[in-house]
This record gives sequence, C-alpha cells and structure tokens, in this order.
Amino acid sequence: MVETGIPKLDEYLNGGIPKGKSLIYFNHPGVEGDVFGMQTLYHNLVKGGTCVYVTSSSNPETLKDQFKEFGWNIRQFGERLLMVDGYSSLIGALSTENYVVSDPENIDSMTEMIDRAMKDVPKGSIIMVGSLSTIMDLCGEEKTLDAVKMWNKMAMVKEHVFIYNFTAWPYDESTLKSIKNEIFNCVISIGGIAERVIFGQYFGVLKADWSKVEVHSMLFRILRPGGIRIYIPKILVTGPFNAGKSSFIHSLSTRAVSVDRLGTTIALDHGHIDYKGFSADIFGTPGQERFDPIIRMISGEAMGIFLVVDSTLPKDFIRAKQMLEITKGYGLPYIIVANKQDLPGALSVDEIRNHFNIPEDVPIVSTVATSKKGIYEAFDILVEKITGGN
Amino acid sequence: MERYSLGIEKLDKNINGIRGGSNIMIIGPPMSGKETIVNNIVYKGLKMGDAAVIVTTREPGENVVDWFNYNNLEIPLDHLGIVDCVTKTLGVPTSDTATIRRASSPVDLTGIGVKISQFLEEFWMKKNIRKTWLCINSLSTILMYSNIQTVFRFLHVFTGRVKASGAIGIYVVEDGMHDTQAVATLKQLFDGVIEIRQENDIYLIRTTGLNQKPSPWYEYTIEGAELVLKDGE
Repeated sequence: MVETGIPKLDEYLNGGIPKGKSLIYFNHPGVEGDVFGMQTLYHNLVKGGTCVYVTSSSNPETLKDQFKEFGWNIRQFGERLLMVDGYSSLIGALSTENYVVSDPENIDSMTEMIDRAMKDVPKGSIIMVGSLSTIMDLCGEEKTLDAVKMWNKMAMVKEHVFIYNFTAWPYDESTLKSIKNEIFNCVISIGGIAERVIFGQYFGVLKADWSKVEVHSMLFRILRPGGIRIYIPKILVTGPFNAGKSSFIHSLSTRAVSVDRLGTTIALDHGHIDYKGFSADIFGTPGQERFDPIIRMISGEAMGIFLVVDSTLPKDFIRAKQMLEITKGYGLPYIIVANKQDLPGALSVDEIRNHFNIPEDVPIVSTVATSKKGIYEAFDILVEKITGGN
Repeated sequence: MERYSLGIEKLDKNINGIRGGSNIMIIGPPMSGKETIVNNIVYKGLKMGDAAVIVTTREPGENVVDWFNYNNLEIPLDHLGIVDCVTKTLGVPTSDTATIRRASSPVDLTGIGVKISQFLEEFWMKKNIRKTWLCINSLSTILMYSNIQTVFRFLHVFTGRVKASGAIGIYVVEDGMHDTQAVATLKQLFDGVIEIRQENDIYLIRTTGLNQKPSPWYEYTIEGAELVLKDGE
C-alpha cells in the first residue's frame, strides 16, 4: 500500500493505494487541489519511497520551490525524486533534467519520457503527473486519455502507483465522464463551497475500486507551512457554571480568547486548534442559566459538542443535560468531559455514566483541564465521531 | 447588483454605469496605451473603495505596483491583489507577499485560477468589500502559450465567477495578434468591448455592448498616466 498522506483519506481508502493502481485528484477550478498531489508525493519521499514527477506547467526548479511554501524540502531526496520536464521545451528554455520531453504538444513525446523514467525507478514507485489538464490542453483530450490508459497499464506491470492532479475545466462531457468513471481506479473529488465567492473547500472519495466506499466529504484548509488539514468550523464546549469550560478551551487551543468578568465567562470563549492533521474552531458557552439565550445563539451549526462537567458535583449533572437540550446537541456527536478528576471526591467515569443515564456509545473522558490531562484524548475521540470514524 | 463606472467621464456618461457581473474585453493595437487605460480604471475604482485583482502576464507584480507609485497615484494596497505569472518563469528566487501571489507560468491556468479565487474570497469574506475589478493583462500572452479552446474553458469559468460575485472583469487583448475567429470566439464570453483603433497618428476609443448603441468614437491622448478624451466624432 502507498499512503496518500492526507489526513483521514487513507482511512477512507482502507489504508492507502494498492500497488499498481491509479488515483486522480479531480479538482474543481479555483480550488487549491494541487496541494493534495504534492502532499502525497512528499509524504512518500519522507517514508523512503522513490518518485517521478511529471511537470507540464512550470519548470522543475520553480516546482521544487513551491513545495517549500509548505515547509517541505524535496531537494533533500536527491535521486529518489526524478523529474520529467514537460515544460521547458514549450517555452524554448534549456533544461538540466535527465528526462526532457522534446515536444510537449505531442503526447508520444511525453509517453516516451514517462516510460523511460518508469523503467529507471524501482518497483512500487510513485509516478505523479503534476497537471493532467495541461497535458490534455496541449495534446488534445482524446489522445491524452488514450495515453493515460496506456501509462496506467505500464504502471500496473511495474507495480507503480500512478497519481494525477487534474483541474476539471469545462471539457467535453464525455471526457469528464470517462475520467470520473472509467479510467482511474480511484477518484478523489476536491471542490469548493461557492456562493458569490468560494469560501470553503472540501474533498471526498468518488470512487475506489479496492475498497467499499461510503461517501465522505471533509472540509479542509491549507496551512503554510503544514499542508492539508481537515477543517471543523465549529465545535461547541458547553456545561454547567464553573465546570472548567474556559480552562478546557485554553488548554486545548493553539490560540484562544475569552469574554469574561471576574473569571466567569459571560459571552463566549473562542479557541483555534491545529492538531494531528485537524484544524478546528472551538466555541465555548457561558454556564449560568441567565445566559441561556446566548447559548442558543452560539450553538447554531456546531458539528460536535464537548459537554464539560465537574466530576465532584453530580448535582449539576441535571443542568448539564438541560444544556445539551438547549444546544440541541442530542442529534450531534457529543462526548462528556469529566473534568476536575484531580480533586477529592471526583466520581469515576462509570459512576458519572450511571448518574447521567446516557447511551453506552457516548464516550466519557476523564480530564484535568488545568494540567492538560486527558484533553487531547477527548479531542481525538470527538473528532473521530465527527469525521465519521468508528 | 452594484453598478460600476469606468472613471472615464465621457464614456461613463454615455453608458450610464456598468452592471456588476459584466465581463468586458479591451482590444486595441500594440502601444495604444491599453495598460494605462486599464490602470486608470483600476485606480479610479480603488479610489472609490472598490477592490481589484490584476493578473499580470507581461511584467512582474512589483512593476505593476511601481507604475502607480511612479505616477504618484496613491493606492490602498490592502484593496489590491496581483497574480504575477512572470516572476517565477524568470528563475529568480521569490516569495509571495500580501499583495502579490505568483503562479508558476502563464501556462499554469490552474494556479492562476486558484490565486484569483483566493483574492476574491479575501475581499468578499474577510474585508467585506462588495465591488471588485478583475483585470487580466493580457489574454494575448495567455493565448501565446495555450490554445484557444483551453483559454476559452478557463475564461468560461472565470467570467462565470465574475458574474456570480457581481464583480467586473476586464480582459486585455492585443489587436492583430490573433485570427479574427479566435477573437470572435472569445467575444461570446463578454458583455461588452472597449475598442481602440488607430488612424494615422490619432487614437480613438469607444465602448460597444455596454449600452443599446455603441458610444461615439472619442479621440484620446495619454498624458503622463492620464487618459484624456476629446469630444466625440
């Protein structure tokens, strides 16, 4: 298996891409989908793999610099990264690469170089086409797709994994259809949420012929440096007064602010976390009953909830359940954060479950927010529930 | 939809404002001052509080900013986004700035598209600016590297984005560089044209498609960074 290195995606693909298979990142125009291919390439170079990169819209040196924006130095891999230069001849520039496509507007010329490079790398390498759409633009849709079918077959024999970046400009309907349905073993769709402008980006698995795909779509963000992160726009933290919600948010967050008075949250807490391939915004509600209207306002469109309780105060658990109702949290993934586990008289997870009378599948995680104990575990568990893991 | 004006008084009077979401081609012979005209339009827009995204295919992004500075035209840089398709092709080590983002080359339509979208999002969502100009200077360079179908597909997407976001798109085309069929193909995507022609030593400008009738031809001169129109024919 070759991993994609994209958070969550390998899980959806049952571990990654089997040797000899092809995958296409099918990008909608204007969405920063190129990074997916780059991240896959870098991930595998770091793991010791050998890769061939076919460039068609920029010269190889520019491309290497582009990786640097994400903090990825691909020059360090030396001969484990071969470049097929399908760009320089197009603009009449000299190339220092060993594999130079002499006529980028002729698909046979491209095939010849790809074939040569494929023979020069060990079995099970990654062949990455930086921009299939550019090749199609230069060589024609039909001819390019015929060649791609052949490349995929050649790769199969050598057990290489073929990866393509593709921008779905408005090509012929039939071209797009065969790209989506026929030519590749796996299709990852990368799109934008657009109204008047594109304001969010997502990816999802359209097809993977080696694994049973349930349709997943994940929002993502691109960090520089860092690359692709799954983005969760809103996780809510709620719970009774003085349960430790603000401490929980501040401990968890890369950066956070609170609107409070004398240490009590009176409007909201907000935090942002970048952790293990995830990027999330966290909103905390006040706990006192007189702020219930605010809680309703803050909780709209949340994707998951941390219900924070003080483990030493079972009398507040009723209020906690009430708050879950106010936030309409019952339909959402939620977990109970059993906080203040370091204090004498703190109830155990089982005791809390008995008090709450909640289904077995609602996780309860014991934490000490002030010393960060258990908080990342809580985050992992909730994110796993939100992103459709088991 | 918002209404825009070109900031060129005589033409504006004639067309009575341009509907947001319009895509306009500006076509004229080489050396006729198209760039100055476009920069003037952008400058007037910026002055009104609009935002602008300029895609530059002929000179580095820094030069575009320098043009305004050199001519003492003060511009709010936080309202300006430049997609630079040149610098990276020169092999000079470089990085993006808040105002200038760089695509790999004029062939890299994917990259150009991403960067345009990023600026549009930034102006609309983060800066709350409701009026934006998108200027591609020039389509002719892009057409030198990619064939007409490819450029048509690219424009099909981005003229659509301009429509959706209520912006104005301005696309510079060199007259005489492309066959008439190519120009006619591209024209399908546009709502109007700013035409420039040369007669002996005189330059003339008019708009078509932006009002029921074409505007009269106006003789113009470029004085410094100013576009000066004389009375219509």
